[in-house]
Amino acid sequence: MKKGQIVASAAVLYVALMGVTWTIGTRQAAQKTEAMLDYAVGDMRVSLDGVIDTMLEHLASIVVHHFRQADAHSMEEVAAVAEAFDIDEISVVDREGRVIATNDPDSLGVDMLVKDETRPFAELTNGVTQVVSQPFRRHAYGNSRRKYLGVPFPNGDGYVQIGLDESRMDRMISAQLSFLFDPQVGDTLCYLCADEETGKLVSKQLEDDMPQTLAELGFDVSAFPAGGASLLGDGGAGAAKTFVQWLGGRRVFCRSFLFGGHRFIVIEPEDEFYGSRNMIAAAMAVLLALVLGGFAFFLVRISGDSERIRAFYRAADAARAKEMEIAKTIQSSALPAPLEASPYFRLSASMMPARDIGGDFYDFFMLDSTHLAFMVADVSGKGVTAALYMMTAKTLLKDALLAFRDPAEAFSRANAELCRSNTANMFLTAWGGVLDLETGLVTFVNAGHNPPVKVEGAGAEGRTPKYVTKKSGPVLAFMDGVAYRPRTLSMNPGDTLFLYTDGVTEALDHKGELFGEGRLLDAISAVPEPNPKMACNVVRMAVAAFAEGVAQADDQTVLAVEYVARPLRFVRSFPPTQEGIASASAFLDECFGGVPDAAREGARELGSRLSPLAPALHVVLDEICSNIVKHSGASGFEVDVELVAEPAGVKLTFADDGAPYDPLSHKDPDTALPALERPIGGLGIMMVRKMTDSMDYERVHDRNYLTVVKRGEVFSK
Amino acid sequence: MKIDKMQDGERLAYRVEGRLDTNTSPELEAELKLDGVKEVSFDFSALEYISSAGLRVLMAVHKSMAASGGAMKILHPNAMVLGVFEITGLDSVFAVEA
Repeated sequence: MKKGQIVASAAVLYVALMGVTWTIGTRQAAQKTEAMLDYAVGDMRVSLDGVIDTMLEHLASIVVHHFRQADAHSMEEVAAVAEAFDIDEISVVDREGRVIATNDPDSLGVDMLVKDETRPFAELTNGVTQVVSQPFRRHAYGNSRRKYLGVPFPNGDGYVQIGLDESRMDRMISAQLSFLFDPQVGDTLCYLCADEETGKLVSKQLEDDMPQTLAELGFDVSAFPAGGASLLGDGGAGAAKTFVQWLGGRRVFCRSFLFGGHRFIVIEPEDEFYGSRNMIAAAMAVLLALVLGGFAFFLVRISGDSERIRAFYRAADAARAKEMEIAKTIQSSALPAPLEASPYFRLSASMMPARDIGGDFYDFFMLDSTHLAFMVADVSGKGVTAALYMMTAKTLLKDALLAFRDPAEAFSRANAELCRSNTANMFLTAWGGVLDLETGLVTFVNAGHNPPVKVEGAGAEGRTPKYVTKKSGPVLAFMDGVAYRPRTLSMNPGDTLFLYTDGVTEALDHKGELFGEGRLLDAISAVPEPNPKMACNVVRMAVAAFAEGVAQADDQTVLAVEYVARPLRFVRSFPPTQEGIASASAFLDECFGGVPDAAREGARELGSRLSPLAPALHVVLDEICSNIVKHSGASGFEVDVELVAEPAGVKLTFADDGAPYDPLSHKDPDTALPALERPIGGLGIMMVRKMTDSMDYERVHDRNYLTVVKRGEVFSK
Repeated sequence: MKIDKMQDGERLAYRVEGRLDTNTSPELEAELKLDGVKEVSFDFSALEYISSAGLRVLMAVHKSMAASGGAMKILHPNAMVLGVFEITGLDSVFAVEA
């Protein structure tokens, strides 16, 4: 073979290879671009549907809550509700599928079971289905497209179906744009969103000197939506309409679709996937020798492209996972730290967040040394929106309780504030109470929340749990100006109050059955003794056993408070004299003998049980009172004796209005010095410190408060 | 508080019953006549507790006996009183007989 023939053959081979490479490269790039656009459009539609569905579900739940049950409400009333919540169509449908109340005159009496498109809503009466949603479709009586969504009444006797016109979606989409257009999704892929009629861009924060409409950006508005064809050239019905556009000096591929009065355009720059093809062609044109290398390089680039697609998918998934992560963090950071152990009550609470994070929270805190506030609440909705609103609600309720102490007043004030800041149509149910540890009286408010369970009695016998069904007002953040009424229930030592959210009673098993209030009572009955932690665990285990691995749909929150004992406290004042100290010492003896309030249940018995601590406490009292009398210049002093059964011990608090004196800042005398070189005095405070288990000093309102606690053995060190 | 006092020449013995605190210590102090005494003992078998006011009296006695070459003894303190001596380091200073 001649040299020329070889070169010619090589050239032919070269050109052929180049053609093949070009064709393959173009095909690959087109496939990738179409796949990416398919994914992006699908993802976008799912996000939009999700947002719209969530919002419609909120609205429908509010309407269900408003009507309470499937009754024949007048058209005026339904119309008023529809107007109040900006809903185009509301239908109340009974168990048989008949429309019994509506704001649409044509719909009254219509049998929903007759037509194909309304029949799926009948599922809402099966007691399991919680929501039925349909995509936008052309409305039977008008030109607009309408979307329907239904939510059942809680007792299963019917459901509410609401309809919203596409045109109303504008507002919702605008409100959610920042969420939908997460700039972290994708590298070069981007979205545009514009008003359908005016073409005005709404998707980006635009500077004044930038294009403000699709037309200004160079889009041929008149070609929507007909223009374009699949890059793969296979056309046909339903083929993706991808069109080419010049944007900011780059050739880009676009897909466009309409949703809720907006035109959405997904944009992928050509060089994202075609770049590699062009590069290889250029490389091949330079040297034949590079053909093989080009192939290799081409292959490498192809794998780079798939890597990029995978990265995009990963980024999209990560963005969703991140939202849930954020919601979870918000939710768990809002939970309170455990309280200091108290001899007078025990409290346990826990929350199991669902995968999508509902808006449950619980809270508990002391209003002062004898009042325990606690609550459980459930914010409507899921995800970050619910979690953020939950934070607001929790803060407002806690602040109001700390400020007003009365739960009814606190809930009324917080509700007014919650209504003002409620831009996302959220609402929450809550049960909040304040337990007076001196009396066992619980003052509470139930704002549309599940009834708590009260278990009476300390022994195993006669522990019959009962629901506390008193309600005192509607859900929070729903209606401004609601005045919640305070309710009370009284607890005796040994009684337990159990609070929970509907994630517990509405947990589903694999047959679609609800856990229910009956099973909750059974679970609580199975707890053999008053023990809040055990009660919470038993209920959680019962729910988990019932669900048998069925995914948890909502947060499950439980909180149990046991009223353990009434405090035995005796307080008396004394003059700042030697006689005063002697009287205080006699008072301490009385306390151990149960004399100051012998009528108080168990006082005498507990006093005598703790009497081995008396000598040490007499020494403590002698030291502290002598200090007050000799050095403080007080006009008198007060001794507060608290006998504690569990953990057994005595708490003494000394209060005086003398000069500030913090004995804790006092240095112990050096007991290592020989006795003769040691200054006499200064030993008292050291003895107090060594003879007690804890010692705290506080100066409040120009008074010294010194509190010591003595437990167990007389000498602990 | 009840104080019994027995003197046998240069030996002086006290028996203290009840509580030795800021109210009662001045009474014990008033009973102390240590001139010419070589050995003083306190029988604390019936003493409930002692506070720093009582310790002060004992330390003053201990000092003055040490200065005059005499001795002070504490007899049969209960666990409470002994505990106070231990806390304050006086158990190693005072001669204590169980």
